[in-house]
Amino acid sequence: MPRIRAVTSSFRHQFLQFVAEPQWLIPNVILPFMITMVALIMFSGQQGNFVLYAVLGGGMMSMWGNTLYSSGWSIGSDRFNGTLEQILVTPSKLVWIIAGRSVWNALVGILNGVLIFVIAVSVYDADLTIRDPMLFFIAFFVTLLSLSMLGMLFCSAFVLTRQASVLTNGLEYPIYVGTGTMFPIAILPWWTNPLSLSLGPTWGIDAIRYAALDNYDGFSTGYWGDVGIMLALSFFYLAVAFVLFGVVEKKVRVDGSFVRY
Amino acid sequence: MQSSETVIDVKDLVRVYRSSTGFIKRVKKETLAVDNISFSVKCGELFGMLGPNGAGKTTTIKMMTTLLTPTSGHITVLGHDVVTDPMEVRKHIGLVLGGEKGLYYRVTARQNLRYFADLYGVPMNIREERINELLRKVDLSDRADERVEDFSRGMKQRLHLAKGLINDPEVIFLDEPTIGLDPQAARDARSMIKTLIEEGKTMLLTTHYMFEADELCDRIAVVNKGKVVALDSPKGLKSLLKDMSIIEVEGFGITAAEIDSIKKLDGVKTVTASMNEDKQVLRVQVCDSSELLTPVANRLGNSKVIGVRVKEPTLEDAYLWLVESDA
Repeated sequence: MPRIRAVTSSFRHQFLQFVAEPQWLIPNVILPFMITMVALIMFSGQQGNFVLYAVLGGGMMSMWGNTLYSSGWSIGSDRFNGTLEQILVTPSKLVWIIAGRSVWNALVGILNGVLIFVIAVSVYDADLTIRDPMLFFIAFFVTLLSLSMLGMLFCSAFVLTRQASVLTNGLEYPIYVGTGTMFPIAILPWWTNPLSLSLGPTWGIDAIRYAALDNYDGFSTGYWGDVGIMLALSFFYLAVAFVLFGVVEKKVRVDGSFVRY
Repeated sequence: MQSSETVIDVKDLVRVYRSSTGFIKRVKKETLAVDNISFSVKCGELFGMLGPNGAGKTTTIKMMTTLLTPTSGHITVLGHDVVTDPMEVRKHIGLVLGGEKGLYYRVTARQNLRYFADLYGVPMNIREERINELLRKVDLSDRADERVEDFSRGMKQRLHLAKGLINDPEVIFLDEPTIGLDPQAARDARSMIKTLIEEGKTMLLTTHYMFEADELCDRIAVVNKGKVVALDSPKGLKSLLKDMSIIEVEGFGITAAEIDSIKKLDGVKTVTASMNEDKQVLRVQVCDSSELLTPVANRLGNSKVIGVRVKEPTLEDAYLWLVESDA
């Protein structure tokens, strides 16, 4: 129960901070809008599947950017405001606090995804018929889960050091390319594939496209294979996050680095 | 719990900070912040820690509250070891830090308290009642639903105090809780600390304000360079200077050279200079005031002296004597 309460209250607290912070308009409204615009311009003149392909890619880019940004911000601001030591002195384990925040951060991704759909349909009059809405919903949900877990992994780096922002800045664009959000990873050099395949969003976008597009020819694993691998990766991220948080929390108490900003 | 029971037990505590600079040729540096200190705090006691900046007070509090791991030595709080059983320690303690940091500014006072109540596992059926009670106690009820970023420094400090009490802790650690507060707000904070002691809480307080320590603390540890140089009641510490008295001089235009010449007089222990509004105030600690009154006055021949008094030593004098003797 205390664990669940730490998760739910951190989720609520993250929401309250989110609505109170106007700067969130940039990653959550303006950026998705721009990404969609660019994607639709790139694929202008194409019909049906191509447009949906672009919109889904834009949505995933936006969700990924949001995960990176918010997971870092969540702990970075605690460091800056001196609240990190205040939460470290409570009997709630940091990993549960971060879990609650990460779930909210990933949920905000839905907002981004929905917004991109709305913009594509209302502004660009795009035809975005989903082939199988139920499978689409499942793939979307599992992708969000995977993004939450990945966000937790990044958070542990921010607990460890304030320099972790380098990680988020450095990972944003390579992951856009590496996960195949805008084009298949098959066209990338072979040596990038292990990295791409170790990331949940790569499988997520493939599963979402299987569910949304007619005659989509994605990974040989197929829709359910993608979902299964993504779930396995999510639990792997969660397990690594648990271990990392234990190690990181111990280390910051030894070296006292949690108060430095 | 019996009042004679030990609530905090610190034994042979050492804390070393290790840092490094440089990229290719890394230079490692070790700083000894706490150097083999031992003390204990009894149930219901208000224990003070006094010391100059960098003496190791905050580091000691952070180790007692599980935020930092000791390099060596042991700390138990209510019988729980802070290293091997930190979760149990955290359930029973409250930490109040001075200053403006440590609060979520974008949300309201009530939302801050609610979040910490949840993280401390305050039962849901009493959570709101406790929050309202604490807000009343710190006189923030009418501002409870305003964002903390709009609060004055005093209000933020009061909210810190409420946050430190959200889990109804048995032991409260107060690290400079009145720093930067105006006199009225500081007096209110002290009054609240007294009330908490009357309620049976055990408290550990660090402060730079000697009168505050004198007024509140049952016992005081004077810490310097990571070591406890004295541990006694305020009265006991003052009695260290029982054979001394203080010549207090008020005046204008007292120069550094004049102060140095007073320091060189035989029988003068310490000299401190401060400002009281526009006047300079010298406090000269001496063994025999009757013998030294005239020589001190003579050394200030070029200044305008408006008053000379002989006073009993205060806690501040005892503190300065201890710290300077240890220098």
